Amino acid sequence: MHISRTPIRAGLLALIAALALVAGACGDDNGGTAADAGADGDVTVGFIFVGPKDDFGYNQAAYEGSEAVAEAFPDIEVLQAENVPETAEAEAGMQNMIDQGADLIFATSFGHLEFAANMAEQNPDVVFVHQGGLKDDLELDNLGTFFGTVYEPVYTAGIAAGAASETGKVGYVYAFPIPQTLANINAFTLGAQSVNPEIETITVATGGWCDPAQQAQAAQSLIDEGVDVLTQHQDCTKTIVEAAEQAGIYSVGYHADASSLAPEGWLTGSEWDWADLYVDIVQTVIDGDFVGSAYNGDFRVGLQTGDNPFVQSTFGPAVSEETQALIDEARQSFIDGGSPFSGPVSDQGGVVVWAEGEQPTYDEVETMDFFVEGVVGSTN
Amino acid sequence: MSLPAPPRPGHGADPAPSAPVREGAEPSGPDLATTAVDAAVDAAPWWRGPALGVARWSAALGAAVVVYSAFLLARGADPVLALTAMWDSALGNPTGFGETLVRTAPLLLAALAVVVPARAGLFNIGGEGQVLLGAIGAGWMAFRLGDSLPGGFTIVLVALAGAAAGLAWAAVPALLRLLTGTSEAISSLLLNYVAGFLLTWLVFSPWKDPSSLGQAYSQRLDPNASLPVLWSRVHIGIIVALVAAGAVWFLLNRTTWGFRLSVVGGNSEAARRAGFRVSALAVVAMLVGGALAGLAGVVEVTGVEGRLRPDMMAGFGYIGFLASWLSRHHPLKAVAASFALAAIAVGGFGLKISTGLSGAAVNVLMALVLLAVLGFAQRKEAT
Repeated sequence: MHISRTPIRAGLLALIAALALVAGACGDDNGGTAADAGADGDVTVGFIFVGPKDDFGYNQAAYEGSEAVAEAFPDIEVLQAENVPETAEAEAGMQNMIDQGADLIFATSFGHLEFAANMAEQNPDVVFVHQGGLKDDLELDNLGTFFGTVYEPVYTAGIAAGAASETGKVGYVYAFPIPQTLANINAFTLGAQSVNPEIETITVATGGWCDPAQQAQAAQSLIDEGVDVLTQHQDCTKTIVEAAEQAGIYSVGYHADASSLAPEGWLTGSEWDWADLYVDIVQTVIDGDFVGSAYNGDFRVGLQTGDNPFVQSTFGPAVSEETQALIDEARQSFIDGGSPFSGPVSDQGGVVVWAEGEQPTYDEVETMDFFVEGVVGSTN
Repeated sequence: MSLPAPPRPGHGADPAPSAPVREGAEPSGPDLATTAVDAAVDAAPWWRGPALGVARWSAALGAAVVVYSAFLLARGADPVLALTAMWDSALGNPTGFGETLVRTAPLLLAALAVVVPARAGLFNIGGEGQVLLGAIGAGWMAFRLGDSLPGGFTIVLVALAGAAAGLAWAAVPALLRLLTGTSEAISSLLLNYVAGFLLTWLVFSPWKDPSSLGQAYSQRLDPNASLPVLWSRVHIGIIVALVAAGAVWFLLNRTTWGFRLSVVGGNSEAARRAGFRVSALAVVAMLVGGALAGLAGVVEVTGVEGRLRPDMMAGFGYIGFLASWLSRHHPLKAVAASFALAAIAVGGFGLKISTGLSGAAVNVLMALVLLAVLGFAQRKEAT
């Protein structure tokens, strides 16, 4: 094949002309929204999600929260962008929303924190709230983090798993060893051990929040290890729940109700209901009350504060009345000020971390860096 | 015709411009590749010239836009709204334009990494891996140096390390081709996966930031290893890339080396008979490509990311490959092609936000543009 040397200039001119034509023909209807920050009735709120909005999981839950915001505030403009990676591309994406007039941006993935913080520094007029991280010592008036105490319903789901398991082995697929995932795995294990002290939790890290191929491999390797309950800390949960159902073992969901995918083996799960919290954050920003508010810091809610956005999913047929009573009892103890990590809790090496009568604060849980006794796996 | 035109050995689809040998050029005239064809174009009547080109390009790209609009409609999105949003976010305001420039820099370098080997008739599909190696090399040097040297020295050494790493990665397929005859297209492509695994391992293990709370990324590069910023988020990487494009153009069109490369790419048998060291020329072309791709990794990690991340620069090498094909492997036209593809990529944000479609929907547009342009080229050749 002989390649001709036709000038590409002409082609690009044509492309630009074609696009300009399209852009010109339909008017610049987004042009007016920028630089209106704060004006009442003209508020724009942006949401970025790391994965697809229909992943049967984390992103779907966050997306539904953003839809609830749009419903609660018909006058504000809601911008949503899915599949925003945890790279500097997230900054470009948030910049794009700011160009479109965003006054408040929800960065909803753990790995978006650094970029949200950078953007907060560069854009003092825009409020950034991050879902799941800790802003630590960043003294910015326009940045905050929020999250629920995910490990509470995970602990009670662990009770259901411990009661259901016959092999004494449960499998946990997770992304990376970060405090959030470690706390969940530990809470799940402790919950299961509360009904069967011999329970072992075998863990596999996939290295990603939503990689169905890796998930399928991880699920298969756990099934081969003899686990008879499979759960996960992944953003998209479909693959693993389906794998468990096909193998004829139990599954525990995460982030969203996937009971329809596993009518036989579904035990329970934990899922997000962000609507009230998102709406309250937006209201706070609209009212101009963000600075110095709880949302300007590391805002955490749980059963103690009465409004945990992370709730228990429906129970499957295999969960007995008796088990449900145990779950209710545990939940009541958390409402009364208890913790899934009430001592005694020992790490994998048998060293006591929280002794009888001790329990960690929310902050201590969020910097957790160890596995409890009974977890098979490494935190590295 | 001073040289016979024997059947092409080996590769069937040859990307390199092959004018000079056929035109009977003397091996000493380095710039005939361009002038011969340009002269032919200039001599054509006006309706065969630029006007027709514009019309054809408009038709081809217009068709791509129409097909894309149909795709958007099928996905339930309003195409006018979507295309407007893409335009607005990529080119319609200063920050969007800046983002497009930021994205152009690595894409242009990745495109040049395809341009140079293509001139020698080689397919470098390994840009994806070579950019990652560039980022890794840059990171390695930056972590070693820390703040021990003044900023200017640090960034130069970091860039050299990145370019060297990209070059080394390209040396593998080049040498495999030379020694065992393995297709460089296949081996460079497969090495992309190896590079991805290498990066993942580095950021999960030895280079992981201990304060990352488990999230996998490397430590932050020292500020000395950051590219100077022109304005907002736009760093000097775009200037580096433009200079590289100019340098590649000069090398290919104004030096004997570039001319010889064209001969090797156009007709390696003729090159052999003319006494050129065909293998050496081809290997060096591949190495230069690797170094350019490495630089793409350097500008991204030092100008934008600031650290190494497992999924950084995903697809950059392949989009660069596309840009090179769009520009017919011409270094200066690659500037325009890279800018256009960068604009489409950045426009993806606007598309996501306005239509709720996945950002990957812009890849469909990129593919359509490529198909339109290649289809157009074939028609042109047939006339």
